[in-house]
Amino acid sequence: MKKFLSAVAAITLMLSLAACGSKTTPNSVFSVDDLPGKVIGVQLGTTGDIYASDYEEEGSVIERYNKGADAVQALKQGKVDCVIIDEQPAKAFVEKNSDLMILDEDFALEEYAICLSKDNKQLTDSINKALTELKSEGVIDQIIRNYIGDDTKGTCPYVSPDGVDRSNGTLTMATNAAFEPYEFYSNQEIVGIDAEMAQALCDKLGYELKIEDMEFDAIINAVTSGKADMGVAGMTITEDRLLSVDFSEPYTTATQVIIVRK
Amino acid sequence: MEDFKLKFYTNFIAESRWRYITEGLSTTFIVTICAAVLGVALGFLVAVIRSTADRTGPKKGAVMTCADAVCRFYLTVIRGTPTMIQLLIMYYIVFTSPDISKRFVAILAFGINSGAYVAEIVRSGIMSVDGGQLEAGRSLGLSYIQTMTHIIIPQAFRNILPALANEFITLLKETSICGYIALTDITHGANVIRSQTYEPLMPLLAAALIYLILVSLLSMGVTKLERKLSC
Repeated sequence: MKKFLSAVAAITLMLSLAACGSKTTPNSVFSVDDLPGKVIGVQLGTTGDIYASDYEEEGSVIERYNKGADAVQALKQGKVDCVIIDEQPAKAFVEKNSDLMILDEDFALEEYAICLSKDNKQLTDSINKALTELKSEGVIDQIIRNYIGDDTKGTCPYVSPDGVDRSNGTLTMATNAAFEPYEFYSNQEIVGIDAEMAQALCDKLGYELKIEDMEFDAIINAVTSGKADMGVAGMTITEDRLLSVDFSEPYTTATQVIIVRK
Repeated sequence: MEDFKLKFYTNFIAESRWRYITEGLSTTFIVTICAAVLGVALGFLVAVIRSTADRTGPKKGAVMTCADAVCRFYLTVIRGTPTMIQLLIMYYIVFTSPDISKRFVAILAFGINSGAYVAEIVRSGIMSVDGGQLEAGRSLGLSYIQTMTHIIIPQAFRNILPALANEFITLLKETSICGYIALTDITHGANVIRSQTYEPLMPLLAAALIYLILVSLLSMGVTKLERKLSC
């Protein structure tokens, strides 16, 4: 009985500790010009990280979290002043957190592409060919519409055609499934624009698709070491990344935005 | 060799990337030392309470029963959950306040965690000292606390030194999960470099080497101390 009582006492103590100190500081970032000197939350290794790092010289402190969601959590609690992240995941976060909002101005425009090993030009070529076909057939647009757009969301999922020959083996895709709507878990399965597009690519090229979920900053390492055949993770083409991997043709555009507290 | 030089340059020299490692080193160092001190303090306290309660048996007073129950609860919860989750709970649930120092949160999380393991190590040490020693001390007119601090604990300490060193080594390496709260320790520093250069070899090897050196230094210190105590 006493053991039970002490357990209850310990839990109440913890909860009361949790309750205190939850008042957050008011928002201080209203535009890109406010960024110098602020604490900026990003996901480690993302383009948001790269852009934010430019402000380090101007006195900003960059907090690099393993997950975008952790950065957003820190923002909610006032541990960072703002979070720089891709537009679509930002929208997903803001939808789920009524105390956050996205600043109107776009931070940077960028293009997403598939990253591939420099040692496998053949795969790069065939993926580029298949991407062009999928684009002209409207499949890519269909997949994007299925995830983005209030009136088209969930209306036009991609379905693999019947009787696809998958004799070419397995194509392993490395991703970080915490990036709605590009890749995220739904009913224990990884879904999203990138996942569906990869499936469409595999259907065209005759592969079985296997998706590996890992930390975002590990994806390029996985591709260069051959642990994965391609990295599809809303990945932007950057100069630095081109030194280690090749990129396919871009398949969509995206913007970086700034999330702040209301 | 040229390749090696270039890689070394991009990973550590360019854009002063070595600073991620040195900053990480200082964090790892401070967090480990402070957590170890906190852990030892907590561990000794819990161990003394637990072994006293065990020794006095069922006729111990209400205060002791309560203290013993709290200690048992602490040991069960801390040893029964992963350190990483404890760290995340500490950062995102317990200390939600905006201007909390991350190092402080890490020290507290690792210290409380380590304390549970130290407690059991110290308790095993106290139990390893013959019961007659306590009786002798008490019959010489020393109080229970005096007997503990002057007779039992010094002997116990010598016995548990290797196990304690082991715990500190584990603690040092366990701090590598600091990255989960965006605190730059050695591992997170290496990860930041890796995310900028996309080059896993150098940063990871450098981090591993630093841990190895730190652990070797620690082991050397403990060996010296052991030799000093084994009179």
